[in-house]
Amino acid sequence: MTTVGRVEITDLLWGRDEHGMRQPVLRSQVVARLEASGQRRAARIVARMPASDDVLDPGHVDVLAVRVHCELQRLAEELQFGRRVAALLRPEVQRLREQAPGPVRVLDVGCGLGFLVRSLAHEQALGPGVELVGVDLNDALVDEAARLAVVERLDCRFVHGDAFTPGTAVDDGARTLVISTGLLHHLDRDELVTFFRAQSDLGAAVFAHWDIAPCVWSTVGAWVFHRARMREPVSRHDGVLSARRAHPAEPLLAAARAGAPRHSTAVLEGPRWQPGALDVVRPIVGRLP
Amino acid sequence: MRVVAVAVGLVVVGLLDGSFAGFRASLGRTGLVDHRRSDVVAAARGLGLVAVLLVPAVAVVAVAAAAATWPAGAYARAGTAMLTVYLPYGALVLLAVGAYAVLDWKLKYLASAVILGPFTFARPLVAVAGAVAGALSGADAVVTTTIVLATAAVLTVEPLAGRLWYEPVPLRP
Repeated sequence: MTTVGRVEITDLLWGRDEHGMRQPVLRSQVVARLEASGQRRAARIVARMPASDDVLDPGHVDVLAVRVHCELQRLAEELQFGRRVAALLRPEVQRLREQAPGPVRVLDVGCGLGFLVRSLAHEQALGPGVELVGVDLNDALVDEAARLAVVERLDCRFVHGDAFTPGTAVDDGARTLVISTGLLHHLDRDELVTFFRAQSDLGAAVFAHWDIAPCVWSTVGAWVFHRARMREPVSRHDGVLSARRAHPAEPLLAAARAGAPRHSTAVLEGPRWQPGALDVVRPIVGRLP
Repeated sequence: MRVVAVAVGLVVVGLLDGSFAGFRASLGRTGLVDHRRSDVVAAARGLGLVAVLLVPAVAVVAVAAAAATWPAGAYARAGTAMLTVYLPYGALVLLAVGAYAVLDWKLKYLASAVILGPFTFARPLVAVAGAVAGALSGADAVVTTTIVLATAAVLTVEPLAGRLWYEPVPLRP
């Protein structure tokens, strides 16, 4: 009988100590963890990954991360993530511009390859005076995101570390909009409260976090799209599981209100009984009055 | 003349599908935001690749056409049955691609979520369904051989293009 929750493979392939330093990851432990949650196919995928003395090859794992995120970017492009995010952020940026002069910062937490930040920069979607910053704990992804930004001469930057550690990426919370896409389902309900509290503590003017709305349509859609579009077995596995792990609106709102009580919060989706096609990926938004 | 019209229709569908397959094979490889130029190159590669892969099927047709027992009627019936399956599918895909190209982001999203993604998923099934319909309608061994070779060619383009031009992916670190 399964006693532990299902996890995405990519949640298990990197180990870091409390200082963020990379630690070796034992393949046998990852396989055992996946088997414990009944994820036999995922366990087989990991069992085939190269390892030395049972330690997963960090180079292979980093290359895999980039491959998986390149595929994810393809999906994000197709599902209009850049334009979707820009449409919501534009009026928020304008509001902050009208409140006071000076730059506004958009901070993408868990940015991965930084597609969203690079896309906003490429389209100049938010106008002048907006600093676009991506932050991720995975240094391989951050390095690649930074390289891609240089290749395409995009006005944005990427930082390796914890986005909410003071000084890492937020200088002035009142001028900062914190965003993410596809991050929330990686957090359990306790971690969600901590996540929102961190943004509250930084005084973020706005947060907007997009994630999959769990319903039969999103699960079927994730399965179809990942079969049709993804090549990596890890992508296919994690993509479908992410739809199944996603949080409904109620616990998201409860966590946001517990962690960031000063923010006015809402999940921007239609009624559960009639989910719109656009609502399959929807944001939880919080604004300071 | 009917057999020629049907053949032209199938070749156009096959070439169009090949260029889309080549395009798909290139996506999600580099991480670049602006990949319009590489998209065009990828579509051209797919077009060229499907043209080459269809040579065995065309050769069978050519040999059959040179024989005294050229099964023109069977080819026409088979091709018509295949087009009956492929044309509605292709028309919807082209409509969605057109919508994706020109409409605003919400409608682009819908075109992709409702048609392009699911239709890509269903494409191998549609290809095989058309082939089966063609083989049953043609009821001729030579025609069936042609259909099998052509269907195999069309379904091979995307994975082969991936292997030829996009793998191993130039990844870092």
